[in-house]
Amino acid sequence: MNVGRILSSPLGLRLMSLVGVVVVWEAFGRLNPRVASYPSEIGAAFVQLGFVDDALVPAFATTLHGLVVGFAIAATLGIAIGFAMGRIRLVDLILDPYVSAFYATPRIALVPLLVLWVGIGFELRVTIVVLSAIFPIIINTYIGAKSVDRELLDAGRAFAANGWQLLTTVVVPGSIPYLFAGLRIGVARALVGIIVAEMTAAVTGTGRLIIQYGRFFETDKLFVPIIILGLFSIALAEVVYFLQRRATPWARVERIR
Amino acid sequence: MLDIQHVDKSFGQEGPPVLDDFSLAVAEGEFVSLIGPSGCGKTTLLRIVAGLLTATSGTVAVAGVPSLGPSRDKAVVFQHFNLFPWRTALANAAYGLEIQGMSRAEREERAMQWLVKLGLERYAHHYPGEISGGMRQRVGIARALVIEPKLLLMDEPFGALDALTREHLQGELQRIAESTSLTILFVTHSIDEAVYLSDRVIVMGTHPGRIIREFQVDLRRPRYDYNFRAEPQYAAIRGEIWSLLERELAITPDEPLVDATAGGVDTRS
Ligand SMILES: Nc1ncnc2c1ncn2[C@@H]1O[C@H](COP(=O)(O)OP(=O)(O)O)[C@@H](O)[C@H]1O
Ligand SMILES: [Mg+2]
Repeated sequence: MNVGRILSSPLGLRLMSLVGVVVVWEAFGRLNPRVASYPSEIGAAFVQLGFVDDALVPAFATTLHGLVVGFAIAATLGIAIGFAMGRIRLVDLILDPYVSAFYATPRIALVPLLVLWVGIGFELRVTIVVLSAIFPIIINTYIGAKSVDRELLDAGRAFAANGWQLLTTVVVPGSIPYLFAGLRIGVARALVGIIVAEMTAAVTGTGRLIIQYGRFFETDKLFVPIIILGLFSIALAEVVYFLQRRATPWARVERIR
Repeated sequence: MLDIQHVDKSFGQEGPPVLDDFSLAVAEGEFVSLIGPSGCGKTTLLRIVAGLLTATSGTVAVAGVPSLGPSRDKAVVFQHFNLFPWRTALANAAYGLEIQGMSRAEREERAMQWLVKLGLERYAHHYPGEISGGMRQRVGIARALVIEPKLLLMDEPFGALDALTREHLQGELQRIAESTSLTILFVTHSIDEAVYLSDRVIVMGTHPGRIIREFQVDLRRPRYDYNFRAEPQYAAIRGEIWSLLERELAITPDEPLVDATAGGVDTRS
């Protein structure tokens, strides 16, 4: 066994870096207990919250529920609107100003208004997720529909494909990489949206845990939902990559971070 | 079979004429090549015949019926293959039949027959990105022939291939042309290819695009069986086309700034 070679492999380097960070963090945390918690304490808090208090699973389930429902709506509507704008000039002309304006507006500024309209329950969280995720999905789908290879459209037209057939056999498959780029940005924005909603107006789920533990300076507990969210967002990106690879067996899927 | 009458074409309101009073009749089963300097309007003419572009004036008829758009009696083979990268060779070949609404089993069976004829059965389930340029264009030819068109339109189909592959596919195209009553309109910039394949070679001039001469090629068929290049008629026609094109190029030495076939627009005034 060549230990040196294993340690200098990409995985080895990552592991060493992780171990290094944990060790330094642990040492720093023990020397400055007022500033931040440290890994061993956080591990203990995780066990306490997760298995003794049973606080993590219900909170995370609440977050996941709003996220999934909101993202499903955002993806469905966003893709449909994106294709409609990309292919139908009239729809583009009518919707473009709103899409551009909304895309540029910080969505969090809308929270008070949304509370007024839909209350502070499930509907609010879903609405915020939809508003967070839908614009990158619309815009990327739109760009995909616009940038479909003209020569491939020609090929479809040469075989007498009608408008609908061109959409389904050329425009949609040709847009898939853009569509997934939109979904990937959208899912990250959706996660930010739901946590913002849960930390501000709705006060529930994982966002509430962060507020709650932050308020009482329980930094060991505070790190638990933060780390879970970090790992969860990595997992979400991986899921999207996986789906993209499944949906595009002809293509090498580039990982854009 | 194909009757092109007085076709004019210019792009936009103020654009210069790209085609000027272009008329050409092609008989059933005839193989006609168009040759001319780049930018003389060959692709434009082919796209008009295919129904991908409308003429500014003039008419195109296929088998006596006015051709007003793409239809299933015409098929196109493109210079850059234009295969759908997300479809396997088989699904690409079956595309036209799918558009016509044929069931999956039936269209794939027919597509497979053509892939077999073109020596592609082992690659039926490969994506275009996984096969060579020569194989891609075979798929392009299969995709066109599967719909059993009356008229086959080919725009420099072998222009992007290496010499050896080109020669091979030229032979196969001849075999196919012989075994069917297919009428073929073939664009090329190779004099040798035009003479080798055609019953008739149309030489076009540029600015505006128009016919300047046509040549009947009476070389014995099939031509892949003997050294047709050693025939006196080959040398004679080749020489004449060469000097015609040389004169055309001398009149208009400037090449288009952007190749229009690549989707660009010529910005010269
Ligand atoms: N879509 C277009 N818009 C404007 N000009 C075009 C367009 N397509 C072709 N042209 C012009 O028409 C002329 C003929 O082009 P083309 O038919 O592609 O020539 P060829 O195939 O013989 O090289 C060129 O001058 C080209 O710039
Ligand atoms: Mg051309």
